[in-house]
Amino acid sequence: MTLRHALLCLLLLGAAPGLAAGRIPYGGELRVAHTGSAEPLGDPTIADTPVEAALFSFLSRPVCRLDPSGAPRLALARDITRPSGQTVRLSLPSLSLANTLARAWTRITGPEAPTPYRALLFPIKGEARQLSANGSTVELPLSFPWPDMERALCHPALALPLTTVAPSLGPFSATAAKGLLESRLGYPEGRPYLDRVLLTPTDERGLARMWTSKQVQLALGAPPEAGVLTGPALYATYLSFSPRRVPSDFRDAFESAIDREDLTRLFVRAPAVSMPHLLPPALLTQSPRPRPAARPASGARAVTLLYDGANEDQKAVAERIQVKLHDRGYKVALEPLPRPILRARWAKGDFDLMLQSLLLPPVPGPALAVVLDAAGRKDLLGVELPLIGAVADPAARDARARDRAVALGPTVPILPLYAQGLGMRAVPELGGLVLDAQGLPLLDGVYFVPAESAASAGMPR
Amino acid sequence: MTVHRALATLLLSTLAAAAEQRSPAPAAPKSTAATKPSSSAPPTPAAPAAMTPPAPLAPAGSPSLERLIQLVADDVRAFKPEPPIALHLSGTSAELQRAAGTLLAARLSFNQMAPLVLDAPSPEAAESLARERGARSLVRLTISVQNGELTARGDLLGTWVNFWSGRTPTRPSTPAAALVRAVEADAGVLALAALSPMTASSPPLAVTTGPRQVRLMGAMLVRLEQAPAALATGDLDGDGKDEVAVLTERAVSVFAADGRVLARRELDGLPLSPAPPREPFGAMAVIPQPARLAVWSARYAHGEVLVFDAAKSSLRPIGPLDTAPLGAAERGTFTSGQTTFTPEVRLGEGRILAVPAPFTTASIVLPRMLFVHLDGSASLYARPTAPPVRIPGLGAGSALGDLDGDGTPELITTSPQLFPAPDVVRVYPLSGDDPTTHGMLWQSILPAGRALHVVTADLDHDNHREVLVGLWHSDGTGEVFLMRQGAP
Repeated sequence: MTLRHALLCLLLLGAAPGLAAGRIPYGGELRVAHTGSAEPLGDPTIADTPVEAALFSFLSRPVCRLDPSGAPRLALARDITRPSGQTVRLSLPSLSLANTLARAWTRITGPEAPTPYRALLFPIKGEARQLSANGSTVELPLSFPWPDMERALCHPALALPLTTVAPSLGPFSATAAKGLLESRLGYPEGRPYLDRVLLTPTDERGLARMWTSKQVQLALGAPPEAGVLTGPALYATYLSFSPRRVPSDFRDAFESAIDREDLTRLFVRAPAVSMPHLLPPALLTQSPRPRPAARPASGARAVTLLYDGANEDQKAVAERIQVKLHDRGYKVALEPLPRPILRARWAKGDFDLMLQSLLLPPVPGPALAVVLDAAGRKDLLGVELPLIGAVADPAARDARARDRAVALGPTVPILPLYAQGLGMRAVPELGGLVLDAQGLPLLDGVYFVPAESAASAGMPR
Repeated sequence: MTVHRALATLLLSTLAAAAEQRSPAPAAPKSTAATKPSSSAPPTPAAPAAMTPPAPLAPAGSPSLERLIQLVADDVRAFKPEPPIALHLSGTSAELQRAAGTLLAARLSFNQMAPLVLDAPSPEAAESLARERGARSLVRLTISVQNGELTARGDLLGTWVNFWSGRTPTRPSTPAAALVRAVEADAGVLALAALSPMTASSPPLAVTTGPRQVRLMGAMLVRLEQAPAALATGDLDGDGKDEVAVLTERAVSVFAADGRVLARRELDGLPLSPAPPREPFGAMAVIPQPARLAVWSARYAHGEVLVFDAAKSSLRPIGPLDTAPLGAAERGTFTSGQTTFTPEVRLGEGRILAVPAPFTTASIVLPRMLFVHLDGSASLYARPTAPPVRIPGLGAGSALGDLDGDGTPELITTSPQLFPAPDVVRVYPLSGDDPTTHGMLWQSILPAGRALHVVTADLDHDNHREVLVGLWHSDGTGEVFLMRQGAP
C-alpha cells in the first residue's frame, strides 16, 4: 500500500458517517436505562415483566418470535414445520441446543419449576413431559388439533434459559463488564446493527433523571410520551383466590368494592388499561358487566394476600385491595414474596388471595390457556382447548376463544384487574426500533440514523 | 398542449350546446355532460345500447399497452361518440404510437365504431383531416412513458359540423371529454418506446462530438417476492443478448429481457453461514467462455458456480465457490455478519488490490473499478495500478456502464440516503477526477423503494446498454426496474 493509499484510507475512515450509501449502517453503542432487575434473570418464566422480558430477549430468544403483524418468524430455530397435521417439528442449529430446549420445556411442565406458562405446551402429548431431541430436531406430537401451536411457541417464557454453559443465545451476548452486551456474530437472524448495548438498572426516578440529562438513548419502563411507540398491553394482573379458603361471596364482595378503572388510573403505572374480562382488552374488547351492589358486611374474615415483592404496582394494588375489602368485612393481611416463591405457592395452591401478573401471548387461544392454568383450573384445558383448536379459520378460532373467556370468567377463581404494556422512550436518532406482537422491542434491528444534515449533502447537485 | 386541447374541446362543446338546442342534429348523441375520466376514477357510462356487444376485457397480466388501450376504449365508448371515429396518436416513439393506434382501432372496431387512424402532423391538424375523411368524432391521444407509467392523455370531440354553421367548422356539444389513463409500464412497452438502432441517430441523440446524450425511461421488469441481494447480467445462453440474474436471500433466478423466468434455483441445500447478515446480501457475476453464473448469498457458508441450461430451464451447479464474485475474475470476501466486503480484492491476474475501506458495492468494467463504501463515498480506479479517485454522495446502487455507446463507461448511481423518498437515478460521464463535479447526463425519479443494486446489460443486442435497478420495498418484497434509452 502506497503512502497515498494510506492517506486516502485514513480520510475515508475518519469521515463522519453521515451517509450510509442507502444501506443501514453498523456500529455504535446504545445506552439503555431500565427499571428491571439489576442481576440478569436466567429463567424466562420468571423474567416475565415487560421490562425483564425485553432484557431477557436481548440474550435469549424462543424458537420463533411474532413480528408486529403477529406472523411467526424464525429466531432460534432453523425451521419449524408440520410433517403431519398434529406434529410440529423444530429444527435447531445444533444437537446441544435441541437437548437444552427439550430439557427446559420438560422442566417447565414438571413439578420442578411450576409456572402457568406450561399451559402453552399443554396441547403436546403427555403435556410435553417426555420431550426428547432427535439429533438437532425436536418433535412435538399434539394430543388434539391446535393450529396456534407455532405462535404459542414464540412466547418469551419458552425461550431457552441462560446458563453458565450457554450464557448467550440471543442477538447479544453478555461480557465480563457489568451491563455491557456485545452483538453476537452468529445469531441466526443476523448480527445486530449495533456493536454494543450498555444496560443501566435504575428506579423510576433515576430513569427520569438519566433521560432528562440525555445520559441514555433508550429508557425501558418509563412512562410513555404521546406519539411514542407503545405495544399492546399484554402484561395482565389478576387476583387469584382459593375457593376453599375464602368465603363463597368473595367474588361479589370484591366486585362491589373495587372499581377497576379507578384502580388502574390511580395505582398502576402507565401504560395500563383496566381489564374487565379474563383476557386483556388487546385481545378481547367487550364492555364490563355491571358491578353488583354492596352487601352488608357479615363479621370480620381474615385472609392473606400474597403479592410479588419486586413489583411496585402489585404492592400499591394490594394495599388498595386491603383498604377496599376492609369495607366489606375482610381483614386482609399482606405478604410480599419473591416471584419464584410466589409461583411455588401458586403451584401448591397454598394461598388465600394472590396477585399474579402474567405476560400473555398475543393470541386469544393460548392466552386463555395460560389464564385458566393460572386460575388453578388446569382441568379445563383438556375440555376447552380441543374445542378452540377444532376451528380451522384463525379469525373464527380467536372469536371462539374470546367467547369462552367471557363465558368462563364468572366461573373460575381468578379476578382480572388490569393489563400493562412496556413504557418506553427512545431518542429520535434511533432507527429501526420496532415492537414485536408481544410488545417487546427488537433491539437487533436498531441502528443509529445518519445525521440528516450530512445526508442532504449527498443529494444530486 | 394536451391540457389546452382538452380545455378547448370542452369550451367549444359548451358553446355549441346552445346552437344545437335551436337546430337538433339528426344523429347527435343525447348526452351533454363531459366528464374527465382518470386512472383512479373511471367514468360512469350510461347503459349501453341493447345491440352493443360487450367489450373484450384485457386478460389479467396482459401487456400494459393492451391494458391501457382497453381502459381508453372503455372511456371512449362510455361517451357514445358517433362513428366513424378518427384516431390521432402522438408521442415521442413512433413504434409505440403506431402500436397504440392499432390496438385502439381494433378495440373500437369491435364495438362497431368504424375507427380510422389519421396520419396528421399535429393534433390540431387532425381535426380538419378528420372532417375531410368524413369522421363524426375524433380521439386525440398522446402516449408516453414516464416514471414507470404508461400514460394516455388527450381528448374526444365531435367533428360533425352544424348545417347552420356554413363553412365555419363549429363543433357539436357532444361528444366532448378529456381522456387521461395510466397503467404501470412493463418491459414490452419499454421495448416499443425505446430508441431503435435506426432512430438512434436522429435528434436529439445526434451528437457527433463529445459524449452523447443519455435519456432513460423505465418500467418494472420483474416483481420479486423477496428483496434482491444482488443482480448480474450477461449472455448466459449464447444468443448474443444478456439475461438478467437476480439473487435473493435464498434463491437465484434468471430472467429474459421481457421479464419471463428462464430458470430458478433454490439455495436451501447449502450450509448456513455461521455469521449471516440481517439483510439479503450477496455477490453474483457472469463468468464468460463458457458462460457460468457465480453466485453467493451471504446467508450461506459458500456459493455455487452454476450453468444455465436453456433447454431444461434450469441452473445446474458445477462446483462450490469460496470467494465472493465481484466481477468475471475479481473476487472478494464478505465482512462477517455485515453487508460489506472486506477491503481487499483479488484481481484476475492474482494481484491483491487494497481498497481504502470496506465496501458494499463493486462494479468492474476493466480497467475501471468502482467501490462504494458504507459512508456513501466511493473509490473509483481508472486502472488497478492507479490511485483511486474519491467520490462523495453515492448510493449502494451504483455501477459503471457504457450507456451512450461511446466506448467509455458512465457512472450510474442512486441516492446515498437511507430512505430517500423518492430515490433518484443519476448518470455522470467519467472524467479524470470526481465525475459528480461535472455535469450530469441524466437524472430521473425511481419508483418507491430503496434502490440498492444497479447493473447494466445489453438485453436486445442493439449495442445500447440498459440499466437495471434492484429495488427493496418496505413490505420485504422487491422489484427489478428496467430503464432503456428513449425519449420519455
